[in-house]
Amino acid sequence: MSEWTKKGPLEWQEYTYKEVRVTACEKEFRGWVLTTDPVSANIVLVNFLDDGSLSVTGIMGQTVQSVETLGEGDWRTRERLTHLFSSGHCEGYSL
Amino acid sequence: GVPGAAEPLESREQQVRASLRERYLRSLLAMVGSQVSFTLHAGVQVTAHFGATDLDVANFYVSQLQTPIGVQAEALLRCSDIIAYTFRP
Repeated sequence: MSEWTKKGPLEWQEYTYKEVRVTACEKEFRGWVLTTDPVSANIVLVNFLDDGSLSVTGIMGQTVQSVETLGEGDWRTRERLTHLFSSGHCEGYSL
Repeated sequence: GVPGAAEPLESREQQVRASLRERYLRSLLAMVGSQVSFTLHAGVQVTAHFGATDLDVANFYVSQLQTPIGVQAEALLRCSDIIAYTFRP
C-alpha cells in the first residue's frame, strides 16, 4: 500500500487546486488537482488545453508513488476548478 | 462561543472528506458516456466508453473496449489493473 493511500482528508485537501507532478508506477502525470477520492485515494488532475478544452486524468491511489507540488493556482485557475462539474448547471431542473 | 473557533477536528475532517468525495463522484458522472483512455500495467493503453463504477471504485464498467486484440462490446475493468484514466469532458 502506498503512502498516499494512508493520508487523511485534511492532508489530501492541502493539494487541492495546486499544480502537481504525480509519479505512479514509474509514469509521470502533471496537472491541477481537482480532488482526491477519500475512499480510493484516486487523484483527479485537470489540464487546461490551448484550444480552451480540458483534459481530466484520474490516477489510481494504490499506484501513487509521490506527489510533488509545482505551484499554486491564481484566483482564475481556482475559479475554473471550483466550478468544474459543479451542480450549478442543474438549476434548470428545479422549476 | 465564537462560531468555528473551537470546531472539533473530527467534524472539520468529515466536512472535508464529504467535499472531496462529492467532487470525485461529480467527476465520474461527467465521465459517463465519454471516450476514456486507460493506462494499464505493463504499458498497455486501451480506450473505451465509460459506463459506471462501484462505490469503492474497484471496477469500471465500460463498453466498446478497444484492445490490441479487438473490440469488446462490454467489459469490466478491474481498477487494480489500471494506473490512470484520461477523458475530455
